[in-house]
Amino acid sequence: MPITIHQPKPPRPLLSDLDPYNPLNVHDSDSDSSTGGGVDLSLPPKKPTSSLSHSGIVTPGEVITSDSQWMRGHGTYIPASTSDITSSLAGTITRTNKLISVRPLRARYTPEVGDLVVGRIVEVQAKRWRVDVGSTQLAALPLSAINLPGGILRKRTETDELQIRTFFAEGDLLVAEVQQLFQDGGAVLHTRSLKYGKLRNGVFVAVSGMGGGAGVVRSRRQVWTMDAANGAGQVDVILGVNGYVWISKHVETPAEVEGKPAPAGITNMEENVSATMYSSQNDRIETETMREIARLRGVITALVENGLRVDEEMVVRGYHEAVEMAMLSGEGQDDVYLGGERGEQLAAALTGK
Amino acid sequence: MPLDTSTYNLALLRVDGRRWNELRRINAQIRTQAAADGSSYLEMGHTKVMCVVTGPSEPGPRRGGVVGSAGGAGGGGGQSKDAEVVVNIVIAGFSSVDRKRRGRGDKRTLEMQSTVANALAASLHIHLFPHSQINVSLHVLSQDGSLLAALINAATLACVDAGIPMTDYVAACTAGSTSTYAANDESADPLLDMNHQEEQELPGLTVATMGDSDRVVALVCESRVQISRLEGMLVVGVDGCKQVREILDRVVREKGRRMIDEGTVEKGTGLNDMDVD
Repeated sequence: MPITIHQPKPPRPLLSDLDPYNPLNVHDSDSDSSTGGGVDLSLPPKKPTSSLSHSGIVTPGEVITSDSQWMRGHGTYIPASTSDITSSLAGTITRTNKLISVRPLRARYTPEVGDLVVGRIVEVQAKRWRVDVGSTQLAALPLSAINLPGGILRKRTETDELQIRTFFAEGDLLVAEVQQLFQDGGAVLHTRSLKYGKLRNGVFVAVSGMGGGAGVVRSRRQVWTMDAANGAGQVDVILGVNGYVWISKHVETPAEVEGKPAPAGITNMEENVSATMYSSQNDRIETETMREIARLRGVITALVENGLRVDEEMVVRGYHEAVEMAMLSGEGQDDVYLGGERGEQLAAALTGK
Repeated sequence: MPLDTSTYNLALLRVDGRRWNELRRINAQIRTQAAADGSSYLEMGHTKVMCVVTGPSEPGPRRGGVVGSAGGAGGGGGQSKDAEVVVNIVIAGFSSVDRKRRGRGDKRTLEMQSTVANALAASLHIHLFPHSQINVSLHVLSQDGSLLAALINAATLACVDAGIPMTDYVAACTAGSTSTYAANDESADPLLDMNHQEEQELPGLTVATMGDSDRVVALVCESRVQISRLEGMLVVGVDGCKQVREILDRVVREKGRRMIDEGTVEKGTGLNDMDVD
């Protein structure tokens, strides 16, 4: 009995019907061509194509270039006994002069010097804290890198070491800057500025940081104060580069109350480093402010869920849009729900579709 | 014999109507859980597996050595120079025909955990993440053969989604032989991608390779096979792995393209922009 072994039919296309990357699509029509029961095991020869020909993404194991003029950056490797620069991530190619690197579609936060991050204390050690900043390792915050209370800028003493928990204890949230990096990717933070320090009077949101897809992107302004609607006063928003976000009631510093601009130099710092700096007690927050903080939080999670980037412009526009959406809805301004369909509606309004 | 795969010789069709070199339908998704670092869902026929990857991250507090035995691979974690890959497999009670409760210390599950962990550790660039841990959590929702292969494929996809650098995809599939060990049948065909029924009755093996290369990173054979048939099975299996890799790759590309279309990821640099300045 002569038996023909047909080519295996390609599996049903998964997500869309037309896929230019699908090597099986080319192979669709010749199901009768291989006669005689020939053992044809091999797929159409897939030459790892140079993905530079299109601006799509590269995937792990894909050869980016075998031209030796390029240098290999993050997200690439060179297999042993070849000179091909190969991608080790799924992502887009970026080029800086002769350096080729692959930016992942999504990845954990990788600290860089100067990043503004929001973090949570997870461990208190003798002379430093260990801070979760959403990275591959915990960051360190040395006792010497914080503003010590009590007036003048002073050296830390043994008393400070003994009282280390009075500054930050486990679970406390803080905003800090990455001061230096270790060889292995670990970060050292500092809070030696009035902009940084312990966080209170607000709410914490974690969104996936970095990399593509929804998340906080590095931008010019990560911290801003905005006027909230419905008589809620002012609200501070801190977008940590690591994807941790802090939304809180704006509390005026003593200098701002007096009508002077906040002093910039460190010589004036002592006036402001007050005892309240390391307080964990919230100030009184009005219901309206809480509601608007909750609305902002809803805007940020809706942006993330719908794959939009989180930066100042998007958050401010999204917030105004959300306020209007609430006005139009039945419950009025008390309606802060922005999940599901409403989140999609918000995202559609923002992208103009 | 309760099962009947012996009709193969008549029409050269297997019990589920496939030919010897056909895979079952593979359906996969990545980024199924927004909160996780990386996640995936994979179906190979009726075998359905879900995977969540957490990390690389600082290893949590160790619980009395239990973690150490749960399929860790590549470095000792903690203070070592490489990241540790820790795999945890949960097999749902409703996943197979007979409702069987498998405890935490089930030997078969433990072996699968360490196989998956070692296969992943061979491909992942764990040297880039010292003192950290990559947690791979796998949930089996439905079993219909080729379980280990499905677990490896799902774990690979989730690691790609988590943005962990790797040498290449680790793709796995199973291969079997059309007649049993006892039958002295020299002309037995090798079979690709066995389902549960075939696995019960016929000898088979699971093979995982590193991407397009022929580098085998995992090979598990739990049945008696005549040595003369082994080579054919291995060839078919390795070839199946390449097909599986294409399918996984397509899933990732599709996701990436969609993200670019939606504008969540900036476009990469094209060839034309790549000209030397």
